[in-house]
Amino acid sequence: MDLIDLSTVESSPEHCLNFLDQLCEQLGLDSGSYATSNPVTGAVQGYANYPDEWKMHYMRRNLHHIDPTIHKAALSIAPVDWSRFERDERFKAVFFAAHDFGIANKGITVPVRGPYGDRGLLSVTRKCSDTEWSALIPEIIAELQMAAVHMHDAVMQSDVLSRALRQPKLSAREREVLQWVAAGKTQQDIGDILLISNRTVEVHLRSAREKLGALTSVQAVGRAIGLGLIYPK
Amino acid sequence: MIIIVDSLNKHEFPELLDGMFRLRARVFKDRLGWDVSVVNGRETDLFDDLDPAHVISVDEEGHVVGCMRLLQTTGPHMLSDIFSPLLDGEPPLRSSTIWEATRFCVDTQRLTRGKEKRSISYVTSEVMIGAFEYAMKAGVKDAVAVIDPIMDRVLKRSGNAPHGYLGSPKPMGKVTALAALMDCSRERIESIRAFSGIKHDVFAQPEFSNAA
Repeated sequence: MDLIDLSTVESSPEHCLNFLDQLCEQLGLDSGSYATSNPVTGAVQGYANYPDEWKMHYMRRNLHHIDPTIHKAALSIAPVDWSRFERDERFKAVFFAAHDFGIANKGITVPVRGPYGDRGLLSVTRKCSDTEWSALIPEIIAELQMAAVHMHDAVMQSDVLSRALRQPKLSAREREVLQWVAAGKTQQDIGDILLISNRTVEVHLRSAREKLGALTSVQAVGRAIGLGLIYPK
Repeated sequence: MIIIVDSLNKHEFPELLDGMFRLRARVFKDRLGWDVSVVNGRETDLFDDLDPAHVISVDEEGHVVGCMRLLQTTGPHMLSDIFSPLLDGEPPLRSSTIWEATRFCVDTQRLTRGKEKRSISYVTSEVMIGAFEYAMKAGVKDAVAVIDPIMDRVLKRSGNAPHGYLGSPKPMGKVTALAALMDCSRERIESIRAFSGIKHDVFAQPEFSNAA
């Protein structure tokens, strides 16, 4: 099992590292990392904006073989706070070393599952008190969830074959909602037009946005038009 | 009380999982007549092998009296596969902030009618509070649940009406099944708590408790 830093691979989308940097900056975090294991070769691939010395140490010692943020968090459907990991030998081997390299003491890993059984993990850390950490997480957890799937989908679609396999499949309802957004209607208007609740409109819109890999509804409309899923107004 | 069992902690709760699979066999095979596979009195399917989370309600004597299974809609789940006819051929929702709830059931043999602690209504509410609070903590905002019309009526009566439906109801065994949408929000949890009179923290495990 090899460990590959995707930012050093020529074909990889370079924006992934920038994305991690921006995410950390916007959400008040110290560092972030994304990892996935290749279903064919088992190689762990990923990005991290940790200090280089820690990345070197991690790779030299093959810590990805035992890192609980990789092996355990993927078993959960919910984000796993690092305080939930058992303090076993493997945990100590990774986390005591991380501490020595000045890596933050608080962290959470958001597990993502893709449609083909593929799994990805977005981890973020911050050096702070328990109180600060437990106040921060509820504030940013929904954004972390969306960032995790965004990053996972970007990495999974980084080759032509996967892009073709993963053409976004929008339901008739999702296209209909997007078409009305394109026409400038508000969520409430759309609910009234389609005779569904405001919240249900929001659910379809959120699902459509994420399928299209868009962070905003405006971006989703643009991409849906580009893919011929809806008509320009 | 509610216990969350996932693939991180399932080695701690073998009896609970066993009780849950037995309850599911009685409900989905025997009572609802669904085409599910039961082996040695336990109902399991391939989605139980995909590391789901189970929300399990346990009574004071330690019996499993209610349960629900949760999966992320970004990955393989029942509406994207087995239950796709419910969506009239449309692709399923896919969002990191929407979870799918399936195999939602309560033990109608052990539980009573009415609203007291050993009632169907109380345990239904307890499972829903547990699932929504767990989801909210994960940043999840809505759930899509595969339910039957009786459960749909129970939800509407207990301050927990779905805010919408996907596709259309389809026959499944002796009943019909439908895909209902519910927001995982403070308002909904308050409404279920007000109806059921459940005021306490429903979680038995400190890592899932509201106080944590």
